[in-house]
Amino acid sequence: MDMLQATADPGALIRRVGALIDAGRYGAAGPLLAAARQLNGQTPELNLLAAHLAEGQGQIAQARSEYDAAIETAPDLADLRKQRSSFCHRLGDFECAARDAAEAVLLQPTDPDAKALLGSALLSLGRAREARACLAEASAADPANPAIREALAIATEADGDPDAAFAILRSGLSSAGGALNLRNAAILFCIRHQDFATGIALAEDGRVAGTVDACLFGLKGHAQTSLGQHEAAADSYAEALKLGPDDPYVRHLVAASGLLPGARRAPPDYLRAVFDGYAPRFDEHLIGLGYQIPGAIRRVALEYLDGTGACGPVLDLGCGTGLVGVAIADLPIGPMTGIDVSSRMLAEAEAKDLYASLHEADAIDWLAEDTGRWGLIVAGDMVCYFGALEPLLRGIKLRLAPDGWFVFSVEASDGVDWALLRQGRYAHSKAYLADSLRSADLAVRSIHKQVIRFEAGAPVKGFLVVAQPAPAIH
Amino acid sequence: MAPADPSAWDRLGLILLASGDPRLASAAFAEGEALAPAALDIALHGVEAATACGTLANTLPRVEARCADNPFNPAAHTARGVMLERLGRHDEALDALEVASSLAPEAPLPACLLGGMLARSNRLQEAEIALRRAHDLDPDNPRVANDLAVVLIRMHRHGEARRLLLGIAADASVLCNLATATANVGLQQEAVGWAEEAIRRSPEAVLGWRTLANSLPYMDGVDGTRLLAASRACSDRLPRAALGLCRNTADPDRPLTVGLLSGSLRSHPVGWLTVAGFETLDPASFRLVCLGRPAPVSDPIAARFRALATEWVDTDALSDEALARRARELGVDVLIDLGGYGDSGRMPACAHRLAPVQIKWVGMQNHSSGLREMDWFMTDRWETPAELEYLYSERLLRLPDGYVCYSPPPYAPDVVPLPALANGFVTFGCFNNLAKITPRVVQVWAGILRRMPTARLVLKTHQFSDPETCAWMLDCFTAAGVAAERIDLRGASRHRAFMAEYNDIDIALDPFPYSSGLTTCEALWMGVPTVVYAGEIFAARHSLSHMCNAGLADWATSDAAAYEALVIEKASDTAALAILRAGLRSRVKASPLTDAPRFGVHLGAALRFAWRDWCQGRQLGHSTT
Repeated sequence: MDMLQATADPGALIRRVGALIDAGRYGAAGPLLAAARQLNGQTPELNLLAAHLAEGQGQIAQARSEYDAAIETAPDLADLRKQRSSFCHRLGDFECAARDAAEAVLLQPTDPDAKALLGSALLSLGRAREARACLAEASAADPANPAIREALAIATEADGDPDAAFAILRSGLSSAGGALNLRNAAILFCIRHQDFATGIALAEDGRVAGTVDACLFGLKGHAQTSLGQHEAAADSYAEALKLGPDDPYVRHLVAASGLLPGARRAPPDYLRAVFDGYAPRFDEHLIGLGYQIPGAIRRVALEYLDGTGACGPVLDLGCGTGLVGVAIADLPIGPMTGIDVSSRMLAEAEAKDLYASLHEADAIDWLAEDTGRWGLIVAGDMVCYFGALEPLLRGIKLRLAPDGWFVFSVEASDGVDWALLRQGRYAHSKAYLADSLRSADLAVRSIHKQVIRFEAGAPVKGFLVVAQPAPAIH
Repeated sequence: MAPADPSAWDRLGLILLASGDPRLASAAFAEGEALAPAALDIALHGVEAATACGTLANTLPRVEARCADNPFNPAAHTARGVMLERLGRHDEALDALEVASSLAPEAPLPACLLGGMLARSNRLQEAEIALRRAHDLDPDNPRVANDLAVVLIRMHRHGEARRLLLGIAADASVLCNLATATANVGLQQEAVGWAEEAIRRSPEAVLGWRTLANSLPYMDGVDGTRLLAASRACSDRLPRAALGLCRNTADPDRPLTVGLLSGSLRSHPVGWLTVAGFETLDPASFRLVCLGRPAPVSDPIAARFRALATEWVDTDALSDEALARRARELGVDVLIDLGGYGDSGRMPACAHRLAPVQIKWVGMQNHSSGLREMDWFMTDRWETPAELEYLYSERLLRLPDGYVCYSPPPYAPDVVPLPALANGFVTFGCFNNLAKITPRVVQVWAGILRRMPTARLVLKTHQFSDPETCAWMLDCFTAAGVAAERIDLRGASRHRAFMAEYNDIDIALDPFPYSSGLTTCEALWMGVPTVVYAGEIFAARHSLSHMCNAGLADWATSDAAAYEALVIEKASDTAALAILRAGLRSRVKASPLTDAPRFGVHLGAALRFAWRDWCQGRQLGHSTT
């Protein structure tokens, strides 16, 4: 008989457990850790492994208790303090993280990692100046460490010194050129500060150096778009998609450049990504572009509602920051409900205090689930994120009161029913608008040519459409 | 007589198992296990009995309880691992075997089982460590040596694998592995001999014929007739279950479910040459389902397939027949085989018919499949001109441009100026698998180097990481009158570094009869044109297709003398070469070779054509599928 006896020595077993935890193979690490504990009893080393295992398996309370047990047994081990500090930081318990990191610094004053942990915890606590000082010491002791340098740059910017922050990132790139996160942080910094040319140059340096990262190419595309370099941006987005094919934002932009079959609508995740990032400066940006739609919708409302008295309730699809709401709030209409996919845009709308309620949702999903009837549905610069309009219009018809009004704007296409434009929006033809409204049992009251906004001084042409439910045929 | 003797219970269990009573056998093994918990063979016999009874799932909790009761029982953990694998719970099985192997590092069997499972999970480095440990502990065990050799082959370490296999008392399956390893160290004729020997020993077994069909395309002098005959012989021996007609709705215009059958939907020639085409198929018309071993999450090409596919079915645990049934359940309308008779290929499952329309495309697409159930063969006018159609058992589905679309990696280095301008001599290069470099290729290349005494040749492939293989190759050139210092042999590197090494090359040389495929595309992207020697079989015409598709038809020939002359002519005009190189990436980018949207339209049209043909056949009452 082939008798199989356990022959592993305790040291080998512990090393194997550590390696398996590092590899994320918790199912194998667990039984071996149990065996190691039978051989060795409780030691801080095994407590630490048990903590890592528990955290990996999502057993946070167990992990915390193992860290605590380890530190109780060996309170003077700086490494244990550092480990618990990191753990607390990951949990968002920054006070605990700062406390343990401070202990670690006291126990090991020359350890840059301990200082970096303390700096990061202080930064998370909003104590930017102290964080900057700690991280500066850590970075001076370990200048090639890109993570410490990145944290120092963040602390420095938070401390009100953006030029110094960028200098830290930039010098880090020359001393630790391969650090991907540092490079991306530097590019993002440039984009946030509207220095797109430098951002592109940094991204290009990364590409030449062989960086394989979707984010780098995506940021480069963003910066190129901002400078009007649309062809180059399309190439960058295509490369980003090769490395990050699950990113709906990039996928939609690649489709918009014609390199992928056009989707029938912009994915909600794409819209969320765009508008969440855009929200704080959305109003200012659109006003700068001569955005015409809220005023046009107001004129239509005045024209069609004149003499009909009050109208409501009002549904503002894709309400964004509430620009349409502002334009029509003084009319005898309401109450107003706003729908948008971007929570940050909705926060801006809420601040205007014009809407009775605001909902974060995709328009088609919301219309399908809503049970109300609306006297007026408006969609300013929202339908342009749909190519095929039939599903949206079916939802509108379902929710529009029998004598209700639907007012929306679109960009005009060059003859084809609908086309996905390079900027990620769709344009539609007048004939298609009429056909699709008719198919949805909506009667066209008017389709007027309308300048939507100005880009580079040139008008973006479109239509302002007014429709009502078609009269029932008896 | 001996109720306290575990080996008596074990023998009783084996007798009961052999006499067809697995339930009683199971009970006997359980008695034996209770008496000798550390007895590995009894524990594993218990697994066999539970498998035969169909009670694996019910027996597992008992084994798990034994593991929990005694964490130091490697026999129980081993049995648990084997059970979990048979239940299709691969990750847990790996963990259990890992525990067993870590607890008993001196025991070969848990290490061997762990290595085998790791290999099946495509975790080759870890598999090698486990199997090497098992081999060190049990060096005379041919199964362990064979398993280790197979892992080494998959890691492109064919020289080591071959040496290991040559030392094993060989059965037919070992001979087939030996044939594969031998072909890949450049001994193509010998490899064919090993495959033929395997066939002599087991003439009705599929494996030998499959190996022959895979080895022949690399051999000097092979022709399409012989290769088609070998593929047909392989096909004739494939089992075919009576699954009946495919019941797909014969609507010519409806959206289609397209199944991609391959274990190589990742960073692999199959991935690089097809993914862009699938990405640009109209999603409203084609829904993609991947059928194959899932690739590592970190693989960027696999991630692109994952983003495309509505479903990815892991086929490893499925027999060929079960795979065919699964594909039919999924409603696959058009099945594209992208694996052929290769290592992870499941083309034999197509004999059971997975879908009403079956198409052979990239992935060991070295020539006709010979498979009568393979309806179509995706190709182009350069790969299969009309005069070669008779060499294919399938109908040809010719795409208007090339038959593939190359998706260049975003991390490819920039093209540098022609190295010859700075070097003062021309550097030829061939970055192909050594299996493609035959003795005749060496003779022809040596002839070129003798006529161009300052020229150098860089050969780069995985196999040149092995010093013995390098020494042998240098001897071949020396024997052909070329000094070894003119030959630069380079081993494996990561992909970006691999691409960067084209910055040392002025002209790429196509091997023959098995031409470059992806390698020619990569060379073009790096500004290096390939001189082509096109032959008769499909594998002999890949470079011809790619070069013509990129608008460089003047780089192709079809005999050795013309090839040699063309190489020398092209190498003699470095000024023209420098100009060509400087604009080559832009040229390729603008060509159909990388024009994914254009390719996607053509691919979609071809798939629709094949589907409509089936629908039409159905309307006319044809019922073969």
